[in-house]
Amino acid sequence: MLVAGLCALGPAVAYAQSPETLGWLRKMHDATQKLSYSGTFVYQNGSRSETSRITRFVDASGANTEKLEVMDGLPREIVRTKDTVRCYLPGSRLVKVDRRTERDFPALLPERITALARHYDISLGETRRIAGYDCQAVVLTPRDNLRYGYRLYADVNSGMLLKAVTVDAAGEQVEQFMFTQLTIGGVTPDMVKSRHASRSWRVEDAGAAPAQLPGWRLSSELPGFHKVIELKRRLGESRSAGQVVYSDGLAAVSVFIESLEGRSDPVRPGLSSMGAIHIYTREVANHVVTVVGEAPAASVQRIANAVEYRRPQ
Amino acid sequence: MKDRLSELMDGELDDKSAAEAIEALGRDHEAVRTWRAYQLISDAMRESPVLSADFSARFSARLAKEATVFAPRASRAPESRRWYAVSAAAASLAAVAFVGWMAFGPQPQAPAPLAQVQPAPAGELKPTIVPLPTAANDYLLAHQGFSPRVSLQGMAPYVRTVSEQAVEPRK
Repeated sequence: MLVAGLCALGPAVAYAQSPETLGWLRKMHDATQKLSYSGTFVYQNGSRSETSRITRFVDASGANTEKLEVMDGLPREIVRTKDTVRCYLPGSRLVKVDRRTERDFPALLPERITALARHYDISLGETRRIAGYDCQAVVLTPRDNLRYGYRLYADVNSGMLLKAVTVDAAGEQVEQFMFTQLTIGGVTPDMVKSRHASRSWRVEDAGAAPAQLPGWRLSSELPGFHKVIELKRRLGESRSAGQVVYSDGLAAVSVFIESLEGRSDPVRPGLSSMGAIHIYTREVANHVVTVVGEAPAASVQRIANAVEYRRPQ
Repeated sequence: MKDRLSELMDGELDDKSAAEAIEALGRDHEAVRTWRAYQLISDAMRESPVLSADFSARFSARLAKEATVFAPRASRAPESRRWYAVSAAAASLAAVAFVGWMAFGPQPQAPAPLAQVQPAPAGELKPTIVPLPTAANDYLLAHQGFSPRVSLQGMAPYVRTVSEQAVEPRK
């Protein structure tokens, strides 16, 4: 009976996906890398909805700069170049800076798109008109309940992603991004500069650098989620933290580890949520472990509960 | 092949068949995985110490959360020499779980009554719901850049930072 139970975990299955479907994902990927565009999109989760402007400029060499301005709620402007992300917060006259070498970004490379089929069944959905563009839906249905599903709508001509819906196991929408207006082309370098770029605001540099975190590990990894990077960084003004990122190729989960020593505000262990993002906090070995990920709450919680510290030998 | 490997382990093959099976292990990754899984199970049955010191505690904790109720009849498992019955696909995790059960689970002469094995609700304990951490934006900004999704969608996911509305106390 026990053995039967184990066998029920399933035989190896070859996950063949049609070249056409995978071609659509590649087309979206290429459009994201190669197109200059400007547009307005709405981010929605539950009753919350926020409008943002997004502008991307790709120069002749292929180098690109992208700017995101959040129009609702707390004013924020985020500018991302090849190796730096700067977040401008006018309310607190603060710039948060995060630098990384490009190879450290766990990009979804075209050759890895095929590997997504191990965790998602990928199929073509309906065609629909969005913000004036005829779009093709590509549906990613997870093969287990450890990750969310996605419906991605791409412009039939350019491949540009016009709408992305995240759905849970019951098929309910968890969050969505949708362009309400989009212009492809016609972007100048000035349009991707922050209007706060010349201000002498306080700078918080994360100082992120790949590093080992001796003694910290997961007692068991979440199936399909593999470690992509381990680094040390600062969070906020001065808090030093370790960060380990796990990903299944599309969704990512970060584990942050900070010492409790010298910490003034209390730790609130438990789960909090924002759209498809879940944050699970717990204490381990005199450290606070905060797991942040765009995955179902149970997945984030499982990773958090697997974090352990063993004094290095 | 699994039958062959099982027989090889039990010393039931003649020289020629054994040589063929061993030769297969040299070229077939799947066969090697299966072989390793059988070895693990074998080690566990002989109580060879192949597991880390706290494996038992961690396994027990996970078993307690496991929705599936493993309650084999007491006399069956130790007698079973059907190594190949463990699917090779389940080898990595499941075989270790199986080994753990064999090594540290309820002993055959004193099987755990079914009623004592509590299936956990939906696989995981229900978490305490708390407000977003005060530093949520620091975590979110630090995390977003590592999402491969940015490759398909550009910076849009960065919008998932906390705005004023979201930091209002929840009901």
